[in-house]
Amino acid sequence: MKILVCIKQIPDMASKFKPNAAGSWFSEADLAFRMNEYDEYAVEEAVKLREKDPASELAVLSVGPARVVEALKKALAMGCDRAVHVPDEEAYRKDPWQIASIIAGYAKKGNFDIIFTGMQSQDRGSAQIGPLLAGMLGFSCVTTAIGFSLEGRTATAKRELEGGAKGVVKAALPAVITCQLGLNTPRYPTLPNIMKAKKKEIAVLNAAELSSEAALAGTEKFYAPVKKGTGLVLEGGDAAALAGKLIDVLKEKTTVLRG
Amino acid sequence: MEATREIYWNVGRGAIPPMYGFFAAAAGAMAYGFYKKLAVYRSGKALDRVSGPADRLARAVYWALAQLKVLRNPFPGLFHAGFFWGFLLLTAGTALIMVQEDFTVRLFGLRFLQGDFYRGYSLVLDLAGLAAILTLLVFFVRRFLYRPKGLETTADDCLAHALLFFILVTGFLIEGARMAVTELHANPELARFSPVGLLVAGLLPGSPAALEGLHKSLWWVHMFAAFGFIAFVPFGKLRHLFLIPVNYFFSDTGPLGGLKTLDLADENAQTFGAEKVNELSWKDIYDSDACVSCKRCQDECPAYATGKTLSPMKVIQDLRRSALAGPGTDIVAAVTDKALWACTTCRACQTTCPAAIEHVPKIVEMRRSMTLMKGEFAGEEGRAAIGSFEVNKNPFGLPNAGRADWAAGLSVRTLAEDPSADVLYFAGCYASFDRRNKAVAARFMEICSKAGVKVGMLGKEEQCCGEPARKLGNEYLYQELAGENIKTFGKYGVKKIVTACPHCRHTLGVHYRDLGFGGEVVHHTVFIKELIDSGRLKLKALPFEFTYHDSCYLSRYSGVTEEPRAVLAAAGGSLAEMERCGDNSFCCGGGGGRALLEEKEGTKISVERVKMARATGRPVVVSNCPFCLTMLEDGIKAADCEAALKARDLAEVVAERLA
Repeated sequence: MKILVCIKQIPDMASKFKPNAAGSWFSEADLAFRMNEYDEYAVEEAVKLREKDPASELAVLSVGPARVVEALKKALAMGCDRAVHVPDEEAYRKDPWQIASIIAGYAKKGNFDIIFTGMQSQDRGSAQIGPLLAGMLGFSCVTTAIGFSLEGRTATAKRELEGGAKGVVKAALPAVITCQLGLNTPRYPTLPNIMKAKKKEIAVLNAAELSSEAALAGTEKFYAPVKKGTGLVLEGGDAAALAGKLIDVLKEKTTVLRG
Repeated sequence: MEATREIYWNVGRGAIPPMYGFFAAAAGAMAYGFYKKLAVYRSGKALDRVSGPADRLARAVYWALAQLKVLRNPFPGLFHAGFFWGFLLLTAGTALIMVQEDFTVRLFGLRFLQGDFYRGYSLVLDLAGLAAILTLLVFFVRRFLYRPKGLETTADDCLAHALLFFILVTGFLIEGARMAVTELHANPELARFSPVGLLVAGLLPGSPAALEGLHKSLWWVHMFAAFGFIAFVPFGKLRHLFLIPVNYFFSDTGPLGGLKTLDLADENAQTFGAEKVNELSWKDIYDSDACVSCKRCQDECPAYATGKTLSPMKVIQDLRRSALAGPGTDIVAAVTDKALWACTTCRACQTTCPAAIEHVPKIVEMRRSMTLMKGEFAGEEGRAAIGSFEVNKNPFGLPNAGRADWAAGLSVRTLAEDPSADVLYFAGCYASFDRRNKAVAARFMEICSKAGVKVGMLGKEEQCCGEPARKLGNEYLYQELAGENIKTFGKYGVKKIVTACPHCRHTLGVHYRDLGFGGEVVHHTVFIKELIDSGRLKLKALPFEFTYHDSCYLSRYSGVTEEPRAVLAAAGGSLAEMERCGDNSFCCGGGGGRALLEEKEGTKISVERVKMARATGRPVVVSNCPFCLTMLEDGIKAADCEAALKARDLAEVVAERLA
């Protein structure tokens, strides 16, 4: 079994985002980065599958600037066998089509049976990479998996649907599975595994050689939402008085209590 | 009449060879018992606890003879000391007989047990025996009649009590029988120097022949009991007679609160921390055998006092049982993760332990194994906090770029803006991000600027000192954070640091030394005291009444108890101490990374501490640690006494009184 997991490094979502000089994306100054949460579920699921079959091999791939090596190292420490870094200082300017094409350019030659990735990235949130990749490779695709098992060459995934409903999907390998919160609890890398990860291979591939696809869509502008009105904080006094004031405000200024 | 006695009176010198035979057998049994233990101790890892042997020996002798450690707790410490000194004198007295009869008489024909020396000898030994019996009676009452909570009694305790009591009583009976025959009437002037013996002699009925018979048989019984005692030493709780003084020799001579810094670059290291007995050091195993379950540690433990699984005594006893079960025994399973995560690393157990057992490093070592080897956490909130340290370099998950926001509008500059500061203020995570503690930091800046001190800060270049991560067992994360901070200190040539937090103070000042930072690090309390002492800072003494809460990391970890009291007195404060104060302080519940964890088990430690503060009747509890301030304010809210008690930082009190 050959397994690939695709991850993205994203800024910590608690950060204060500011537009970059061109106003086309956020500035990376003063930001702290971490592995995309959904990709952590993907790595965990891939490692669990990898552990069931000692003969299998698990590669982790990331497209992005030099900093993404930190995320790759974490994935290696969690149990991936080897890493692939596709350096691209301007990855943020590429649209999902181009990123998926780069990954597909690599995956085509890799004979992978199954590819895991997050259902979306926390920063861009386009949720396109998985389905696009599956399309390009001709793989089956299951999105937003919150449960996963494999028997022979059939993957069974539980999916989260709108309104809390669940669905079960069976897909023949090769397949792309995109992972959602609830699938698993990502492990914390142990120190011996962090040490071992330092010796694992991180191959560096050239983005241009993997794909020369042009962008189909471009991000025009990045900006903070315009502040609409001001908030109001009710303070002091006892709880009953505060609740009374709150009801007055809701009656006067909103429609939630009418009807 | 001559003032002496015939040694081996009535039993005859023929008793000497068998006596020495039995003594050799008893000593042999004792040696064998300890020899068997050596193999258990040796199953631990190597650790140097013998270098500087002269100082170690002097300390061990002093601590043991002066009973320094047990006397920290006057009851029952004083009685233990009384018994110890009594029994020690009796043993020394018996040894003197041996010295005279078998050495000085045989070699030089010299007898020294006569005349005034013998009179004094008699009196001292008689009183020593009396003291031993009386203190033993107190112990008996305490253990069997009015047993304090938590004192566990086993067959071992009963046997030790019975044996000691039997030896002392038979000793006096032998003396009484001898005196009834040889001194009571024949030499009453000398008999006065053995008051207890005299009393017993007067009470013993019977003819001289009957008394001689009683004496002779009791002599042998007493001898067997005494030798039995010697043989029994390694096999029961009496082993502490040897193990504890020797443990004083082995005790840590490094700085207070030291922890082993793991070598993470060691490629041969297979395991980190301790999950099994043989992953502990030999000293840890030895410690566990030196424990006599006196429960002083348990009495002081804030986790135990609030109904949590942890008892430091039980931890040590669990380790002992595990060590005896074999080197591969799982100690984390024996102690339980619940107990291990409950520790606040407050060091109260270790500070009070009369056996000089080092509890906290063992707990951290086991936490290291859980964290580093298994990726375990103390709950989801622990996992989240560790994740925040990794990404944001603070436990709150807030962007570290905002680390200098607390100083907006103040004159303090980052070293990047102006590297010429007199001292670096290491604000730490709480003073940087926590609203309440940001206010404290601002007040401290007022104090510095009034004293004309130019303070610099690191701003977003500062990271968490790593202390909570380290105490939660994550040595790897600690060394990553510490490494970055040390690099930054080096970049600006930092020589002196003042911290808002006692935990930062101890970590930067003590633990960073192992990682290559040797600068001076003081807490703001000590810094303020220095400014006052040097005359740079003048205070108006405005009277106020308060109680003071000693932070564990200032008092027990850094030895700072006088400075805050002196500063607050200079500020006009009238202090009412809580019962638990100074290096006997009761933790707020926030140490050991616990401030970042939920306290689900038992009652809240902070509420317990707030109750103690309330008991003083004072309206203000002053502390000087961000964890303490936060925990005390939580406790005040939880105890619903916000109107009666306010928690304040020492810097706030001082800043209001700048002259």
